[in-house]
Amino acid sequence: MSLNIRRVAQAIASIATCAVAVAAQAKPIAFAHGTTVMGEYGAGTMTEVQAFYAPTFRYSLGVSHLTLDGAIERATRDVSYVRANYLPKRWNLESAQANVFVWGGVGRAHIGETSDDQFAWNVGGQFDYETRRVYASLRTDLHEASAYSHRIDTLQLGVAPYEHDYQTLAVWVVIQARQYTGELFRGTEYAALLRLFKRNAWLEAGATQDGKLQAMLMFNF
Amino acid sequence: MISQRIVLLLLAVLAASGAHAATIELTVNGLVCGFCAQGIEKTLRRNAATDDVFVSLENRLVAVATKPDADIPDDILRKALKDAGYDVKAIARTQRSLQSLREQVKAKK
Repeated sequence: MSLNIRRVAQAIASIATCAVAVAAQAKPIAFAHGTTVMGEYGAGTMTEVQAFYAPTFRYSLGVSHLTLDGAIERATRDVSYVRANYLPKRWNLESAQANVFVWGGVGRAHIGETSDDQFAWNVGGQFDYETRRVYASLRTDLHEASAYSHRIDTLQLGVAPYEHDYQTLAVWVVIQARQYTGELFRGTEYAALLRLFKRNAWLEAGATQDGKLQAMLMFNF
Repeated sequence: MISQRIVLLLLAVLAASGAHAATIELTVNGLVCGFCAQGIEKTLRRNAATDDVFVSLENRLVAVATKPDADIPDDILRKALKDAGYDVKAIARTQRSLQSLREQVKAKK
C-alpha cells in the first residue's frame, strides 16, 4: 500500500516537473501568416533549429533539425524532420493567456554509433500560461527511431521584474528543469536563463548547474 | 435669416454625426506579449481602410486609425482579431488620435 502511494507521489512529482519545464518555452506558432525561425543550444546535449510558417493561428508547418549528444553513452543522433504544430486550445483571459500545443513530425535520423540512417518520428505537446509578470510552461517531446527512444521533458517558470509593453523591452528571469530519457543525461538538468524580447526578436541565454551554456534565439516575421 | 442659420446648423450637426470617427478602439482579451501584438498589428494593417495601428498591452487596447472617410465594420474587426487568435470584448469609435493615445500611454508609465 505504502509502495503504491510512493509510486503515485513519484508520478505526480514527475508530471509536475514536466509541467514546470514547459512553462518557459517559446511557442511553435507565433501568429497567423507569421514565419518563425528559431535555434536552441541545450548545454551540449541538444541542439535544434526550426523554421515554421503559420497559415492560421491554429497550425504551422515547417522543418527542423535536431542533434542529440548523449552525455552517458556518447551516442549522437542527427535528426531532420518535416513537422506540423497545432493549437487545439487557447484561453484568452482578461490579463492572461493559456495555450495547449501539440506537434508531430517524420524524418530521417543518422545514428552516430553505427552510421545508420533510419526513419524517425516525433510527437510532443506543451501547455503554457502567461501574464505580463509570470510565465509557466510544461513541454514533452518524444523522439523515436528503431535505434533509440528519447523523451525530453522541460518545465520552465519565469518572472518579469516589470510589466513590459509592445514598444518596450521584455525582460524575464526563467528557471528551467529538463529531463532526458534514453541515456542522454542522468538526472534532472537545471538552468537559470535571462530572456529578452522586443517586437519580433527573442534572445534567451543562461547556464545549467554544470556551468554549460543554454541559449535560444527566435525571430518572427 | 435665423431659420436659414438653424437649417445650416442642423445640416452641420447631421454631417458631423454621419462622418466616420477617425479611430476605432478595441478592448482585447489575451493580450499579454509582444508577439501577440505583432500578429494583431500585421493582420489589421492588411485591411485597405487601415491607416495606422497602435497596441498597448497595459491597456488591453488595439487602436486602429482609419483612412479619411473609411471605416472597418465591427464584424470585420471581430473576425480579424478572432482569426489572429484573440477575443474582442468591446469596440468604440472615438475622435482620439493615435498620437494622443501613444502619449497618454507613455505618460501613465
